[in-house]
Amino acid sequence: MPVVSLPYKYLERLSGVDRKIIIENLPMLGSDIERILDEQVDVEFFPSRADLYSTEGVARAIRGYLGIETGEENYQVGISDISFSVDSNLKNIRPFIASAVIRDITLDNEAILSLMGLQEALHWVVGRGRAKVAIGVHNLDVVKPPFRYFGAPLSRKFVPLDFQKELSLEEILKEHPKGRDYAHIVIDKPLMPLIEDTEGNVLSFPPIINGELTRVSESSKNLLLDVTGTDQRAVQIAMKILCTALITAGGRCESVNVNGITMPDLAPAKREIDVPSCNRLLGTAYSADEIASLLQKMRYGAQPDGKDKVNLRIPCYRADIMHEWDVYEDVAIGAGYTSLEASLPATFSNGCEHPIMARASAIREICSGLGYLEVMPFTLSSESVMYTKMKREENPGVLRVLHPISEEQTIVRTDLLPLLLDLLRMNKRRELPQRIFHTGDIVLDLKTSRKVALVSTHPGADFSEAYATADALLRELGLEYLPYDSNDPAFIPGRVVDIVVDGKKTGVFGEIHPEVLNRFDIDQPVAAIELDLRVIEA
Amino acid sequence: MQLTINEKKLLLNMTGTGEKSPEYFADILQKPSESVIQYANLLSQKGLAEVRRELSTLLVITDEGELSLREGLPERQLFNSFDVSIPVSELNKHQHARIGIGWMKRLGWVSINEGIIKKTGNAPESPIEKGLKSPESASSDVQKELIRRGLVSAREEVTLTIAITAAGSKLVASGIDLRDETGTLTSDQISSGTWKDLALRRYDISKRPRPVWPGKIHPYQRMIDEMRRILLDMGFTELYGDIIQGAFWNFDALFQPQDHPAREMQDTFHLAGKKELPKGWERIRDMHEKGGDIGSTGWGGKWDPEKARATVLRTHTTSLSIQHLAEHKNPPVKAFCVGRVYRRESIDPTHLPEFEQLEGIVMDNDVSFKNLLGFLKEFYVRMGFSSVRFRPGYFPYTEPSVEPEVFIEELGWVELGGAGIFREEVTAPWGINCPVLAWGLGVSRVAMLRMGLSDLRELYQSDIDWMRKVPVMQRGKA
Repeated sequence: MPVVSLPYKYLERLSGVDRKIIIENLPMLGSDIERILDEQVDVEFFPSRADLYSTEGVARAIRGYLGIETGEENYQVGISDISFSVDSNLKNIRPFIASAVIRDITLDNEAILSLMGLQEALHWVVGRGRAKVAIGVHNLDVVKPPFRYFGAPLSRKFVPLDFQKELSLEEILKEHPKGRDYAHIVIDKPLMPLIEDTEGNVLSFPPIINGELTRVSESSKNLLLDVTGTDQRAVQIAMKILCTALITAGGRCESVNVNGITMPDLAPAKREIDVPSCNRLLGTAYSADEIASLLQKMRYGAQPDGKDKVNLRIPCYRADIMHEWDVYEDVAIGAGYTSLEASLPATFSNGCEHPIMARASAIREICSGLGYLEVMPFTLSSESVMYTKMKREENPGVLRVLHPISEEQTIVRTDLLPLLLDLLRMNKRRELPQRIFHTGDIVLDLKTSRKVALVSTHPGADFSEAYATADALLRELGLEYLPYDSNDPAFIPGRVVDIVVDGKKTGVFGEIHPEVLNRFDIDQPVAAIELDLRVIEA
Repeated sequence: MQLTINEKKLLLNMTGTGEKSPEYFADILQKPSESVIQYANLLSQKGLAEVRRELSTLLVITDEGELSLREGLPERQLFNSFDVSIPVSELNKHQHARIGIGWMKRLGWVSINEGIIKKTGNAPESPIEKGLKSPESASSDVQKELIRRGLVSAREEVTLTIAITAAGSKLVASGIDLRDETGTLTSDQISSGTWKDLALRRYDISKRPRPVWPGKIHPYQRMIDEMRRILLDMGFTELYGDIIQGAFWNFDALFQPQDHPAREMQDTFHLAGKKELPKGWERIRDMHEKGGDIGSTGWGGKWDPEKARATVLRTHTTSLSIQHLAEHKNPPVKAFCVGRVYRRESIDPTHLPEFEQLEGIVMDNDVSFKNLLGFLKEFYVRMGFSSVRFRPGYFPYTEPSVEPEVFIEELGWVELGGAGIFREEVTAPWGINCPVLAWGLGVSRVAMLRMGLSDLRELYQSDIDWMRKVPVMQRGKA
């Protein structure tokens, strides 16, 4: 989740509220406070609330929540004669663009930082790391409309941000820090998205980098915004969030004509909500009036319509309102979660343990009764532990993790015994005898099933101990078995038995081969048992 | 007062003997003197005997001293090597000349004039010669000289003497039972009744036994079982399911958009192989693309069935909850699951790629958000967290969502899990018409808090010593 830095001075100026009160109320509005610093508070907002990723957006919300200014903001969009053409050669590359103009804005350092923070958070959350959406903010006064959004060859040159000389697009992708970070988004495309003015000055190479020419500074008065991307809805919402924040910062918004369409559209979406179903879901008994006033605190335009309906105007920046229940949540937040009384429903029901869990408990009882201590190793393992150290062939049903994090977690375990031996290695210096067991999931051929394994190590651990213990375990599990000669290479030949139940091999026990002990770095003999539990689940 | 048979025997034999060495009693009792010292010490702890330690110096003749005893001291050997007189230059050839000439002169055995050594005719046994024969009785000056010349060495020695005290004598006077004491009873002694005539030995209760380590259920499993028990008591049905899931059930059925970063290889373990989509998958597609027919906008864009066929290690047990709901559409449903889940996170003390998650769902007519808070509160209070509060939260598949927090003495308010009501986008495609309350909880996080662990790995790669020493029950804790 994105962390937004809110500088106190700017936030207090915009909201008219003391920092202490803001910090107190932020969590109940829906956020986690990361850290409280001298000059700013860093707050983590939910990914659904991209409109809160700026100081301006937070100020707007907190004024509503504290009742200083409720209801919807009325965002005006003036008309400009600025237009954008979109070339069809971007159709399969990065087809969508939104644009707007902000005039007469005074950007101090804090406002610029807030704008950059908002841009970054939007890039990350809405833009999926700029792939879906990328944002450009430009000093409008140094370029000449109309503008053109088109696909350019890699050889095209311009001076990118933070550089003094011209670079080709190809060079930017290789040499510019942002180029290297984001090259993967465009590198396989036949043409590169580019924005230029009527004189061929480059404003931006989205989603990589803007031109140095249009750099925004504290002296910039008029801004041109562009949002490009691969998803029309996401492009528009990012533009709306950006425009509304800049209006709150003191700017005046003007439209841009993009291929014949006038944007941005900052008008609210209309929706009607049903009072009884809201109360039913929340367990409350609010009147239509109460719900309307709670939603006004949450910055909706809300008017009761009779006793069962509330008519809503949902601010254009609220991309998260997909469904009526999203509004109900805002009713609850507006009321304050602390005001909702926790209560249990009267429904009768019986508890019912899952039979697999019940059996696992019984197995734990048997094993601990035999003097074994339970361990709970990882389910992710490696070929080395699972097979190589065991001198065993790889199980053909083993499941590989496609992008493992480390060499120790490349497969999902197919056996438990190797993990117990690995635990004995880790506990080599602990008092003997050591007797440990585990019962749990394994995966073969995409199917989860269960096993149990036990190991005992001490100077006298031998085949006889394994036999006696396996015999007791199988007896307690109610299984009749036959011992068969086994050629499991993990054990000493002649000291290993395949457990056969109903004519099927279901397990193995015996004395671990010294070569295996060497590979695991264990220096005492080990008596071991492993049993496939599918036999008791059938 | 309880005495062992050996203590009693020693006590009896000490009566009237006065102060004696341990060896003295060792002879009488036919025991090694070390044992006698042990009995005496035990008696002295009870005030019945007195053990006195005396530090003395023991003089022992060295190998060189033994040689001198046999062959004479160097000066005597030198003296005997010539007749009446001899030139110094001649005598210097003798091996003991360097030490011997000086001594002979000092003892007055010879005189030296103009390079000639001449016997005085009077060479009595010197004090050193005499002292070497019995160093203990020599004067301290002689003893020092013997030690200096390396003929005798001194050794510090502790001598113990044992004597009965007045209290001991009193006890003896009052009579002592000298029957042999019995340790382990035999079956024969018990059944025949001869135990009645036996003196049963008392054991020393101050000596702690060597620890015995029982087989036990893992402390973490015990905590998981405690949580399971609470939910079973609250009337929940337990779920269990595969750890390998199709992306369909893990993400799509939960209305997770297909371009959500959590689905990608960086955050989720993907596996080779595909899982077929269940019947009715088209309704999920429609929900994602257009919001179905419940007044939702959906996510827009195209929903790709191929992406839904991918297999993953389940990232939450919610994939089991939604499958359970899809199969049980009629209220009421109350179900829970504790199971291992997987996130592609690098290992550090508080993050592991696999850990346990607990999840509960309640589906019923007219259950509400307040009821969800009720279940959460009930569960946490039963878990021993008596102060619970609720904050807004965000989870992609619930609305409204809530983050419960519990108050922990040393830590303040700690976020513990997440909850909400399943979005209608999640439940509607399966024909579920009433709300589904759901909550999840990181079980390993609770374990860290409850067991005071600083590293999650201790749960999965446990130190046997730690497991042995964590008691099954802790006083003052439920």
